[in-house]
Amino acid sequence: MMSLVGVMVLALIMGFIINRGVGLLTWDLLIGDYHPTTYNLSLPTTESLGGFARPNDLDESAFFSQMWGLGLMDDVDFEGKAVVRVIYVDAQSPLQMMRDKNNLERVVGLFPGLALEKVIFSDLTIGLSRTKAENFIILFDTHEGINDLLAVSSGNGIRGAIITTGLLIGFALMIALPIGIFSAVYLHEFAPKNNAFIHTMRKMIDTLSGVPSIVYGLMGAAVFIPFTSRISKAEGGNLFSGALTLAVMVLPIIISATIDALRAVPDDYRKASLALGANHTQTTFRIVIKSAVPGIMSAVLLSVGRMIGESAALIYAVGTAIKDHIILTEKSASLAVFIWSVMAGEVPNFELACSVAIIIMMVVLFINVLIKLVARRFALLP
Amino acid sequence: MNTFDVRELVLTYDGKAALQHVSMNIIPKQVTALIGPSGCGKSSLLRCLNRMNDLIDGCNVEGEILFHGENIYAKNYNVYELRTKVGMVFQKPSPFPMSIFDNVAYGPRCQGINDKKTLENIVKKALVDAALYDEVKERLKESAMALSGGQQQRLSIARTIAMQPEVILMDEPTSALDPIATGKIEELIFDLKKHYTIVIVTHNMQQAARISDYTAFFLMGNLVEFNTTEQIFRQPTQAKTEEYITGRFG
Ligand SMILES: Nc1ncnc2c1ncn2[C@@H]1O[C@H](COP(=O)(O)OP(=O)(O)OP(=O)(O)O)[C@@H](O)[C@H]1O
Ligand SMILES: [Mg+2]
Repeated sequence: MMSLVGVMVLALIMGFIINRGVGLLTWDLLIGDYHPTTYNLSLPTTESLGGFARPNDLDESAFFSQMWGLGLMDDVDFEGKAVVRVIYVDAQSPLQMMRDKNNLERVVGLFPGLALEKVIFSDLTIGLSRTKAENFIILFDTHEGINDLLAVSSGNGIRGAIITTGLLIGFALMIALPIGIFSAVYLHEFAPKNNAFIHTMRKMIDTLSGVPSIVYGLMGAAVFIPFTSRISKAEGGNLFSGALTLAVMVLPIIISATIDALRAVPDDYRKASLALGANHTQTTFRIVIKSAVPGIMSAVLLSVGRMIGESAALIYAVGTAIKDHIILTEKSASLAVFIWSVMAGEVPNFELACSVAIIIMMVVLFINVLIKLVARRFALLP
Repeated sequence: MNTFDVRELVLTYDGKAALQHVSMNIIPKQVTALIGPSGCGKSSLLRCLNRMNDLIDGCNVEGEILFHGENIYAKNYNVYELRTKVGMVFQKPSPFPMSIFDNVAYGPRCQGINDKKTLENIVKKALVDAALYDEVKERLKESAMALSGGQQQRLSIARTIAMQPEVILMDEPTSALDPIATGKIEELIFDLKKHYTIVIVTHNMQQAARISDYTAFFLMGNLVEFNTTEQIFRQPTQAKTEEYITGRFG
């Protein structure tokens, strides 16, 4: 009965998050910038105007300029403000040849997704801004040159957060895996069995996996930020201090999971190997570790799952500032911290937060399925 | 010269004696069977011969075991080398979770043999000698875990003879197998004794009588009688031996 209530509450929460966030889940979300970019473009004269046909699949409510090959539509941004969205630019449209107003050498074509803010046509001294798509189109169809066009990309992409998370996990594993696996191998295969010190070590490792991650975060701030600042040009939270923090955080997970994997290797293998004249080192590296590989793989997956959803440990160590272009020695936000950051702004972006939550949950789910699969293969082996 | 001379061997586990003043010898190119009721110390003795007892915490050995006249329990004796010469096949077949080929090549590889051609020859010869080659030649690269129990046990034997040992120790090698697989292993042992000295622990009296040349009967850590198999089974000198082999024991 209680468990039913629990499941229902969980389902409600999940349903709510999915309902709110699923709308934004597009490829553009994954690869897009978070921060809007403002484009200031111009195209004073052009030869190739006119004769564009409205594409069949253009939205009914969109407005189309036959002279410019441009489709516009009224839309709202995430804050609920009305914007005019560019939804179609013909491949032959002269708008593809627009130039950057600040650097006229550079061709920056207009592209779908941008929100049109303001247009000043060549023969008009007064521009048009913050109006309806229809009004824009009427003017586009009656003018032949553009002095000034201001358009803003929508932003709200999470590419930066994905890259940050990927880099953090990659670096953290590069540090924690060798250390963790070797510690586990030492503790389980080489260390004296009835040694009080070794025993205490193991107990401590088990305890460490239960330490709240904010404690690791504090340690990252206290130890790793100064450390990385000294050896690089970082001046505060950065990806290296974050990776080190995560590495320390998952180290106990990796060690205990690897020890479990080693423990699961049948003693018969060790005996058979030794009986063939192999020495202890050969037996450990050629037989024992090899047979433990599936278990070690689940250890890796387990720690990746933990790191993906990690926020508290990273708030200090890498910071909360959302970046689009990741610099290793600077602050940036990982996926989980990203959720916190977009919700902490003046206008919380609930939809975006939910989308990222869905992504994290999907990855974690995927990892759990993988762990199950690996475990199943492992069970089949001996 | 004897392959092994066991002299006044006393073996204890945590101070509790499992073998008491055992003296016997193992004769080259012969099959010696160790028989006796459960817990009498057969496996313990067998494990002494390649020093697998070293792995057991609390196991202590006194007396000496000479292998070609050299005491294997001497201080600086090279155990790893001993085990390349004295191989062991366990009761439970335990192929490594790798391919059939890699299983057999494992021992030689650990000795630093990495040449592909050499390994292929060694593996093939070992599998042929273990009477397994014809059954597995098409799937050498497949996992050894997929073999049947009897095949796995012959693979264990192949793995051992790939080391070209002098002695093969077998601890109840057929007790986990059906009669047909058991028959195959027995035939194999018969062939192997041309080239190897074999010491086998068995609970099966007929098996001991069929395949062994010498038999040693143990009781509660004591060697009661050691003689040719013919003598032991036809005219045992000790009453206890007769009781045991005729099944009146207990
Ligand atoms: N690893 C060990 N630790 C402690 N005692 C042991 C160990 N192995 C064997 N013993 C004890 O030593 C004695 C002899 O055991 P051993 O295994 O040599 O007998 P066995 O003749 O091989 O018996 P079985 O026919 O059941 O295999 C037994 O009393 C057993 O309990
Ligand atoms: Mg035994």
